Formats: sequence, C-alpha cells, structure tokens
Amino acid sequence: MCAAISAQEKLQAAMQHKIVPNQEYLLQGSVLDSSKDVLIHRLRGLADNVDEQVETFQDRERVLTLGPVSGQTLTLYVRQAMDVRPGMDQSDTPWTMRYIGQPELGDKSRPTVLRNSIDVGCTPNVLEFLSEMGFKQDYEFMCKGLMFRKGRMKILVYKVYKNKTADNWEPLSMSHVVELSVLAPQGHDAVAEDVRNFAEQLKPLVQLEKTDYRRL
Amino acid sequence: MPVRPKRGLMMPLSMSENLARLAAKIDWSRSDGEEDGDEAAPSSAEGDGDADSQVTTFQQPTWPWESVRNKIRDAYTEVCVLSDVLSIARHKRYMVLDGVTQDAPEPKQIIQVISKKKGLAAAAQILSEGAERMRENLAEQRRNRNNNDFYTELLRLRQKWRLRKVGNNIIGDLSYKQVGSRFWLSGTFEVKKAEENAPALPPPAPGLPPVPPSPIIVTVPSELQGAAFIYVTIRKDQETLCSARLTHPGSTPLPVPQSQHWSDRLDAAQNVLFCKELIAQLAREAVQLQPRLPHMVIGNEITSTIFPGIHLVMGLAHSARPERRPAAAPLPPVPAGPLGDNNYVLEHSLHQLLRHMHHRNMHHAMPHPASAPMGMSKRRRQAGPGAASRGQLLKMVESETLLESIIRQARHVVLRMRTAFAIDSCAREIKDPLIVTHWNSVNSPTQSCCKVNIMTHGYDSVHRTTFLINVLEDSLRCVCRDGRVMTVSYETSELHYIILCQVSQHNLLAAQSLGRIMGWTVKSSSSGQGGGGGGGSDASQTAQSGGGGAASSSCVLSAPGGHCYVAVRCQPHGEPVTVSVAQSPKRDFFPTALVTEHKWEHLGGAFRQIKWEKMEGRNFLNKMELLMANLSSGTGSIM
Amino acid sequence: MIIMGFSTLQTFPLIEGLTGPQTLDVLHKRITALGARVSGQFVVDCETYFSAPSLLPGNSQRVLNVLHNTEEPASVFAILEGGAKQPVLVADTLLDALLPKMAVLYTSNKKQTRIESKGNRYEMGDFVVKLGSVTMSGSFKGILVEVCYLACVVPALCWEMVWEFMQSFLGSTVPSTLPPYIQSRQNATFSPTDTIQMYLEKFNEFRKQTVAR
Repeated sequence: MCAAISAQEKLQAAMQHKIVPNQEYLLQGSVLDSSKDVLIHRLRGLADNVDEQVETFQDRERVLTLGPVSGQTLTLYVRQAMDVRPGMDQSDTPWTMRYIGQPELGDKSRPTVLRNSIDVGCTPNVLEFLSEMGFKQDYEFMCKGLMFRKGRMKILVYKVYKNKTADNWEPLSMSHVVELSVLAPQGHDAVAEDVRNFAEQLKPLVQLEKTDYRRL
Repeated sequence: MPVRPKRGLMMPLSMSENLARLAAKIDWSRSDGEEDGDEAAPSSAEGDGDADSQVTTFQQPTWPWESVRNKIRDAYTEVCVLSDVLSIARHKRYMVLDGVTQDAPEPKQIIQVISKKKGLAAAAQILSEGAERMRENLAEQRRNRNNNDFYTELLRLRQKWRLRKVGNNIIGDLSYKQVGSRFWLSGTFEVKKAEENAPALPPPAPGLPPVPPSPIIVTVPSELQGAAFIYVTIRKDQETLCSARLTHPGSTPLPVPQSQHWSDRLDAAQNVLFCKELIAQLAREAVQLQPRLPHMVIGNEITSTIFPGIHLVMGLAHSARPERRPAAAPLPPVPAGPLGDNNYVLEHSLHQLLRHMHHRNMHHAMPHPASAPMGMSKRRRQAGPGAASRGQLLKMVESETLLESIIRQARHVVLRMRTAFAIDSCAREIKDPLIVTHWNSVNSPTQSCCKVNIMTHGYDSVHRTTFLINVLEDSLRCVCRDGRVMTVSYETSELHYIILCQVSQHNLLAAQSLGRIMGWTVKSSSSGQGGGGGGGSDASQTAQSGGGGAASSSCVLSAPGGHCYVAVRCQPHGEPVTVSVAQSPKRDFFPTALVTEHKWEHLGGAFRQIKWEKMEGRNFLNKMELLMANLSSGTGSIM
Repeated sequence: MIIMGFSTLQTFPLIEGLTGPQTLDVLHKRITALGARVSGQFVVDCETYFSAPSLLPGNSQRVLNVLHNTEEPASVFAILEGGAKQPVLVADTLLDALLPKMAVLYTSNKKQTRIESKGNRYEMGDFVVKLGSVTMSGSFKGILVEVCYLACVVPALCWEMVWEFMQSFLGSTVPSTLPPYIQSRQNATFSPTDTIQMYLEKFNEFRKQTVAR
C-alpha cells in the first residue's frame, strides 16, 4: 500500500482491463416439484464437492426501482440471506444489492443469455438507504432451494414463494426454477460453452434455455 | 293332473326342486293357467268380467270358489306333507336326507393326482433347466476368467479408475485433478487389449502356479513410470538426525516391474505423480519464499536451514524403469539410517499438507445470498460491508505454504529430540536428586509437552519439584510450579541451566521441609542470591549477604533448642552443596549480670563447613537427616 | 483480533508565511522528532452526486456522498444527506461500478466536486497519525490531521490522552473538545464509519469556504 491510488481509480483501471467479473452467462429452466429429486440426484453426481452436504439457501429478494427521470429507471434487487446455518449468525452474511443489465440473447450461435450483473455486498440498512434515495419497492419474493458448484459454474434449484400476508409465504407454482450461471469478466465467451455443455448433460431431466424476458 | 304323479316320483329325488315347484303352484293366478287348462279358465274368469262368468256357469255351476278352495286344500296337504317330511327328516330317526351323488369321486381323484404329477414334472423341468443354464453360465464365467476376459477386467479397472473413451482408445486418468490438484502433468494412461496367447509369465516363486497374463495392457506415460518416493532428512553436518520417506501408503519404494498387474502399476504411477507434484510445489515455494537464509533448490532436492548447522533436506527419488533405460540413474542414495526409524509424523504431515492444499483448491464457501458471486471466502465477503481494515485484509490473504509448515514441523522434531537429549543427559549427570521425565503422548506436530519431576530417592514425600516444558517450534517454554514462565531458545545449554537451577532449588526446599519435619526452624531462606567465592567458615554469611553473580540459594536452619545452626548453600553450577554448622559455645547457661538470658549465649559460633563428601548417608537428604538428628540429640559434636 | 481504535480529525491552519507543503513539512519534522516513522501513504476521497430535480416529491434534493478510505481498502462508504436521516451505507468496492448506472438519476460533476485528503501515514506505538493535504478539483484547500489511537474504542475514555498527544506536535491549535460528530456518541464504540463521517463533516466545511470566497 505504498502508492496511494484511490480506490475508484483502481476499480476503473480494473474495469478497463476487463478483470472485474460483471458479465453473467445464464441459462434457465424449470422442473416440476415431483421430478425435482431426480434432477437433484443427477446434479449431485455431476457437481463438485460430492463429498459434502448439498448447500441449501433461503433468500428474500426485494425489487426496488428509482425513477423514471427523463425515461430512465433503475431497478435494484436487494437480497438478504434468511437461512440460519450452523455456526453462522444471520448478521454475518451481508445483504447484497444487485444491478442486472439488459439481457442479450443474441442469435442461435450464442449458447447462453449474457447480461451485465453487478453484485454489491452491503450493510443491512440498505433498504432504508435506498428508500431515502427515492427507491420504491416493486415486489418481493422468497426463494428457497439448493445450490451446486461445478468449477466456476453455479447451479441453483429453488422454489419461489410470494408473501400473502406479513410473514406468510406461499409457493408461487408447482415447480422449481433451475438456473445455471457463470460470472466472468468481459470477453470470456468461452465459458458460455461450458454452460451449454453442462446443460446438455442435464437433459432430459430439465431443459435449460435462453429465457427471453421480453416475451414473458 | 300331471303334476301329482310326477311329484310322487320326484319327491325323494330332489327336495329343493320339489319345494320350488310347489311354491310356484301356490301362485295360481298365472301358473294354473299355464299348467292346467281345465282349471285355468275359471280361475282367470272369476276376477274378470262377463265372458268369464259365462264359462264358469256351464263348467262348474256349484260354487264359484270351489277351485280356489281345492287349490288351497291341495296346497295345504302338500305343505303338511312337506312339514311331516321335514320333521321326520329333522329327527333323523326314520329318514335321513342325503345329498344326491352325481359323479363318482374315485375317478376324479386320479385325474387330480395325474395333473399334479404333470405340473410337478413341468416345474421340475423348468428348475433343472434353469440350474443347468446357471451351471453353464458359471462354467462359462470360470472359463472366461481363466481366459482373462478383457471386458471383465476392464470392468474391474473401471471400478477403480476413471476411464474415458476417445475414438477407439480408452484413456484413463490417474491425476489428482478431480480432487483439486493444479499440477501440470497430465497423468493419463492408455488401456489396450493384450494380445492373445501371450506367454504365461514364469511363476514369481517356485511352487506357485504361473501367473496368467493380464488381458489388459496399461500404458503409463514415461515420466510416471518406475517408482518414486520423497525423502525428508534432517541432517547435522553429515549425520542424519531424523528421516522420513514418503510413498503411497502400503507400497514399497522399489521399482515396479513391467510385468506387474495393472492395479499395482497404476498405484505406482499415481504415487510418482503425487511425489512429483509435492516436490514441484515445495520447490516453487522454496524459490518464492525469501527467508534470511535462502532455501537451496538443486535438481530435485531442496535444502533449507532450520537451525544453525542443521539442515532439512527434501528430495524426490525417482527411478525410471530399469529395463528400458538401464543407463538411467539408479535409485538415488537412500538417506542414511534404517527405514525403521521413519518419522511417521513428518511423513504423514507431508501427505496431509498436499491433500489439504487440494482440498482448499476445491472447497470454497458457497455464497449467501445465493445470487452473490462465488469464489470469495466468507470473511472476504464480510470485509466490504464490515469495513475491514488493511491489517485484517492482509491477514486474510496470508496463508502458510507447505514448505513453511514442514519447516516448522521439522524444527519441532529437532527441538524435541534435543530437549529429550538434554534432559536425559542431565538425569545421567545428576545422580542425587532423581530426574524423572514424562512425555505426553498426545501432541501436535508443532507442539509437545514434557513434565519433569525432581525428587530425592527415599524422600519422595518430603519434597518434589515439578516443572513443565512446552516444546514449541524454535523455543521452549518452561512453566514452574510457582507460576514462573521461562522462555528458552533452542540452545540446549539454557535448558541444562534451568534444570540445574531446579535441582539446586529442590535440594534447598527439600532440606527445609526435612528440617521442619524434624522440628528444626527455618531461620532464613533465600533463593537467587549471589554466590561469590563462598566456602569456608563464612559460607552462610556470603550466601546471606546477597550480591550479583550467578543465582545460588541458601537457607539457615536452627535446631529445636536453638543451640546450633545449619547453613545450606546450593549452587546451580553443578557444584556440590556446601553445608556449614555453627554451635553455641556452651550448652548450659548460668545467668550473670552481663548475660541475663540463655538466648544470648546462642549468638556466638562461627560457621564451619562440613566435609560433605565425607558425611555418612546415601544422598543429600539422607546426610542432612543424619546431621540434624545428630545435632538435635545434643550429644553429638561433630566439630 | 480487530484493531479499530478511536480517531479524531481536525484542521490545521497554515503557519504564518508558509505555504501548505511547507507547513506539512514542519509538521513532518515535528512528528518524526517525536519518534514516529512514515508507514506509507493514505487517501480519503469523496465524490458527490446530486439527485435529479424531479426524482423526489416536493422537489427535495438528496446529496449522495461516496467516500473511500485507504485504511479500509475493501469498502466504500455512502452517506446520504438532505433527508430527515443521514444514513450511512457500507458496501463492497463494486458499488463504484454501480454508480455510473444511475448517472441520470444521481448526477455528479467529477471535476468540481471531488475532494480528497492525501498524505503520509505515520506510526508511533499505539498512535497512527495522518497528515493530509486537502485538494478539491486539483487545488489545495488546507490541512487535515487525523490521529488514531489503536488501543481504545471508546472516545470518552481516551480523548484526554489523545488530546495531550496531539498538543505535543500540533500545539495550541488542538481544540479541547471532541469533534462535534463524536460528542453525541462519545461513550459508544467507535467504528470506521465514524471516521468517515468526520471526514465528510470537514470536507463540507472546506466546500463552504470555497463558496464563501
């Protein structure tokens, strides 16, 4: 720490050299609850760390938007880990606020959806802070499921719950979301192939595809 | 009426049939019309209109209900008969109702037996056919085994090793990449089918059946052939203090012949890979680390200095297959010292350290919340929002290298050996108080603990001095009973000195406790006093006067009557204990004008040293006991 | 073990007849004479963003200050001013990458609003002293002295000692009371965000001076 370069400059330099992993390569799909176990079984075999217990998670996500000002809005996804794992205090896990850019589907030759993703860990007062900034909450949901790792790939299998009343969550559907993603710096398109190959191995248990949000 | 004669015939035949028929007849409205043409007309007529009455008038003019009454009477008669029959039948005195035999049972049983026989025969045939098939299968399997079927063997190979089909070849992987290794060497091997009718190998030992050739040929890359092990030695000049040899558990460090079974060959190859990775990692760390005394990496050998004059040598010994490269370097010099005193702790640690590194490479904490990016440790994730300071962040980055930890362990091994040696030589040297050591059996690779007890033979209960020695990596920590903690460097002379101090302190305290037991009073006691020239008559005075110099300790004891004093001085240089005695000039007291009380008589008397080595007694305390007993009895005057 | 300690911050007026760098040099000599040694450099910088006019109801405006401190290199501090509350958000450094995404909603004029304090960091036993020269959009504004005492986290317990220590090289310029931000929380545990709040307080003072001139 001899040279005192300001942190912001360092980050800008890092961004310019494309070493900040802010590109997410993503494939999504869903399985019915009834066939989830088969998929989990397959994933346990394919993923790393088979010797360990499958990691569970339970997150609450709030979606906040700011604006519009001259047609521009900003949406942030604030997540909070709700699960209490052994040896871990809930306050130990920071909250995250996430910016997700416009997903690029590309043509058929591109194996995955590519979207900009900036995930910032922050203190739990983020909700208060954002609302002071003028953000308004759009909606919120809870997701609960399992996560796997295969190299740099993250595989999430989770169920989405919506809240009916204050603390009463009920499942949104009869199926689980399956998400396959890699976070990489810009220009690392080779990882997209890995994602596709892995998705191939999960067929026909689950069909992972590029989801076109505009058509939803 | 055609019914009646028929009934008489049928009655004994079928009761139920008859009853049913009779019951049907009671319903005259229709059944009479069908069965009995004569009676049917009036019966049907009486309920209907004029046409019916005309018929009745010319046939039965007497009474319109005649036929009805006749019918009822008939029915009544029939019912009476039936009830009689039933009552007779019920009493079973005159008549017995018996089922009508329809078929003879005898021929039916025969048929059953025959069919059963047939069925059994068919089942038996199926079973025997199945058994025959199984027998054939078994025989075939046995034949296959004898023929060393390629596929069965491949299956067995597949159960133990990772195989993959590339084109027409079968490629196996024996690297540790799947468990987190990042070593560059690929570690693949090729599996091929052996040629048919390969000659059977000669029996490995006479008397054993010849080993059939394996149907599988495993080709291991040349750099993984042969045998390898890693030797770790701790050397002082040319003398080996300690050595460890690292191979796969259970395998020998001898080269594996080409002819050996594939499982042995693959195990050996994997061992070579493991050793190569370990030495590569250690060498890389040795180059990267910058200690004050740089590590030396020459070829496959890493030398680092752990203590002045003591080196830790780690090297890879790899012998390639002798038949292919006879000119290749033979097995490198096996470190001196038999394999018997292999240091298992060091061996195990090396094994474990590399595995641990692999594990670390593989196991990262998963992110929570799940959307967060992967690959950060839990603490690093908290660092940003938690406003971690620079120091905290630096601490997260730091991690100990394999070389550092193995050096730490080697240091500990050396220091433990030295400490044990120092204590043992002290115990040999000092005969009088006994020095007993107890090493804890439970210890860590870098810390062990030893308890030292000092006591005098025969006087164990009088006094016992205990202290603990914690052997760390490059220092010792001595914890005394009184709570003092001394940290000693790796130089054993310091430990030697501490033990001598403890011995002298033991002697002094033991003398005091013995004196107390014998009724003597401790007049003064001091430890850590300067001990100058000493000796002679003024021994105790010198001891009491204090002053600089080495710590010697002394005490003065007085006899129960106070008429004599014993001064003991112990010096921690291994010099003998000096004991001096001062006596009152006179035992009896006569008060005079000048000396009014007896105690004033005790003042005088110079201390005179006792020729301790000439004293009677087995050891110091024994001598003290005799001396004190002698003095307190009052009769003795040793002067 | 977490060493946070307690920090206090004050401005140091320029010595009569000397320029900023010369004054800093005098301080450097004084403090090294006391036995402190330089242990690298430090920067505390602050970037300010203003909310777009129509963003909030009633045309109220929020000012988002984003600060970095080399003492906590993994964190970004965001302090929002203008509302009823003044919340502080501590986040990963990636927050800096997020801010350009709201460029229209929260705008900033980097050239004019960027203010930083930069200089040497000294260590002396349990004390860390930072002599910073404050620059705003490239021009020198003044001197900020931060003194950190690592062995205590409750300001009220160690203020007097820190005060005495500061007097030894800052002379009579040391105010006898705690900085205003700390006064209300002098019995609470001191945290890195408190340091940042003090810097923001001082930075705002410097900005007002500029406006006054």
